[in-house]
Amino acid sequence: MKCRICHLYPDVLNLYGDGGNIICLQQRLRWRGIESEVQRVPIGAPLRLADFDLVFIGGGQDFEQEVLLEDLKHGKADEIRAAISDDICMLAICGGYQMLGSYHETHDGKRFDFIGALDLYTRGSPDRMIGNTVYECLPACGGGTLVGFENHSGKTWLGSSVEPLAKVIAGSGNNGEDGTEGAHYRNVFCSYSHGPLLPKNPGFCDYLLQTALARRYGSAELAPLDDAAEKAAHDAMIRRVTSQAGSGRHKKK
Amino acid sequence: MHFSVRASFAILVCRLLRLVSRILHRGGTAMPGRVALRICPDLLSTLSRGVTTIAVTGTNGKTTTCRMIEEIFQNSGLDYFANRSGANLMSGIVTEFAMHANLSGHVKKQYAVIECDEGAARTVFGKLRPAAVVVTNLFRDQLDRYGEITHTLANIREGISGCPDALLCLNADCSLTSSLADASLPNRVVWYGIDSTAGVNEAPPALSDASYCIRCKHEYEYDYHTYAHLGGFRCPHCGYRRHEAEFAVTGILGMDENSSRVRFRGPWGEDDVTVNLPAVYNLYNAAAAICGCVSCGLQPEICMDSVGRFSCGFGRMERFPLGEAGACMILVKNPAGCSQALHYLTGTKEPFVLAACLNDRPADGTDVSWIWDADFESLAPLADRIRKIYVSGDRGPDMRIRLKYAGLPDASITLVERPDELAAALGRETLPVYILPTYTAMVELRSAVIRLCGGNEFWE
Repeated sequence: MKCRICHLYPDVLNLYGDGGNIICLQQRLRWRGIESEVQRVPIGAPLRLADFDLVFIGGGQDFEQEVLLEDLKHGKADEIRAAISDDICMLAICGGYQMLGSYHETHDGKRFDFIGALDLYTRGSPDRMIGNTVYECLPACGGGTLVGFENHSGKTWLGSSVEPLAKVIAGSGNNGEDGTEGAHYRNVFCSYSHGPLLPKNPGFCDYLLQTALARRYGSAELAPLDDAAEKAAHDAMIRRVTSQAGSGRHKKK
Repeated sequence: MHFSVRASFAILVCRLLRLVSRILHRGGTAMPGRVALRICPDLLSTLSRGVTTIAVTGTNGKTTTCRMIEEIFQNSGLDYFANRSGANLMSGIVTEFAMHANLSGHVKKQYAVIECDEGAARTVFGKLRPAAVVVTNLFRDQLDRYGEITHTLANIREGISGCPDALLCLNADCSLTSSLADASLPNRVVWYGIDSTAGVNEAPPALSDASYCIRCKHEYEYDYHTYAHLGGFRCPHCGYRRHEAEFAVTGILGMDENSSRVRFRGPWGEDDVTVNLPAVYNLYNAAAAICGCVSCGLQPEICMDSVGRFSCGFGRMERFPLGEAGACMILVKNPAGCSQALHYLTGTKEPFVLAACLNDRPADGTDVSWIWDADFESLAPLADRIRKIYVSGDRGPDMRIRLKYAGLPDASITLVERPDELAAALGRETLPVYILPTYTAMVELRSAVIRLCGGNEFWE
């Protein structure tokens, strides 16, 4: 068994330790004796998603957004849309998450059209939503609690064909208003949580790996690992965030 | 010039508050200034008149560069004062000026060395009106506080636009810092850096903070990388490129665990220079300090001699007689600096004990995600040599899993919650100890270590 991972746009979507998710995916495969291969697909490089089992897209800075949009037009957007309907397993964080939606309208009225693979859109807000987060992951995404750190000013709204990834327990989530966090569509999982998300949420990491491997190999049972250190970090965060009133602080920009 | 009663009162209050906080054994570096600014918001403009100041800003190396400049000032016989790194916002800078002023607002010292937080530069520089601004570099750091690296750059630019007479000393090897030199700022610019002839040629970083041209957004090409995104960059599309450096390290004669010996070229010619700190990033700090001071008219010989004599302390490669073989504390604040510290550890030869202390208070950055961008993987080949690992701090459990996923055996890692417990545990070690703390973890642990083995608190 081998898991082939695509790290899309590691050159521009690499904010806030998002690369830690790749490290986590690879190590948890290695510790189980499963081979893995990560291919970094930067701007300008060709993308063939049929070659992969799992796609990761991180978050980025606004500065580089235009470079990215230009590159998506040259075939990558079509490739991503096709792979999603082909049930590829994908994890997209923050900017990568927004990019899968239809558009992002910034606070000062600029509109960026995205690839429209998922029925959702983002509107900029003057407030930045920053802080530690705790979510209750929906059963269709593996269940359990998730902990992370969010930092975004875009507010994302889900259309009717997309489900949230989780319910907000602490923090702002998608928009700070409707109590949803992230998105789930077919085998695509999206979140605003950096953290990075996977190392402190090993259950969710394994759920993604299982989804990715099951698609290629029919079924995939992952052997249990000793997650005491991960669980300790996860639980410490939950204790801390839930003991602080209003941990997701808003900051005027 | 009329000096207001309000300003006198602000200075008086500031000095009294500082006195009280010292009696109570608090640092009192920023609070008195905060109160004084409430009374007289423009106090710094008044106090900075008649003081010749070198200001240092940028992401990494501010404190070390300032300490080097201080050593140069001292050896040049200048009567100066300086702020400390915990007090590099407007409030801390005002406190320092007020402490050296009489009640009519006259500052008794003629010179100042001021470290300025890169976020605070916007408001500070116009009032400080420094003779020279040294910008060390720009890396991603505490993005939870500043948003994005380009915002930080805009902050610095706005600050400099308030002091058009200041000489700008820029890092030629940093494409972000270099971009400050354009038609929008009238300031005279001098450049420092590490030339290609020095042969510092690292592999390009897996994660760069500046892959794309800040001017036209095309990908840079590099003749050489010194570390992170620093090096001989050029944009093949718009022609933006590394400026030639008047002050440059041109050759490496030797580097060990404690110091470096280099060839250094200035406008006066080329000399051998010793930098009394190890690692490439300190060569930049030394070049920045020499560039700033020589450009302000100080003697090149004294400047070059001083960077070989100074000691920085306060958690920057600071050594303590702790445990049987001693401890070395290396402050880490962001991925670029942390990766450099880790790189330094890979260059040591003996078995050692590692302590990594991670806090997430405002001064550390409340987002600890950055530890995943730092190259802890470089420690994995050393796993046999790292005999024991301690993790500590508010986010010790996060550091533990970072090290575990970097490939270090979890069984060798011990979580110690409190700084005093950690200091005691490290004091019982027989091997050399390397401690990598974030800022507030460093301040706490340093106090605990000093209680065990002696030394000065930072405000002393």
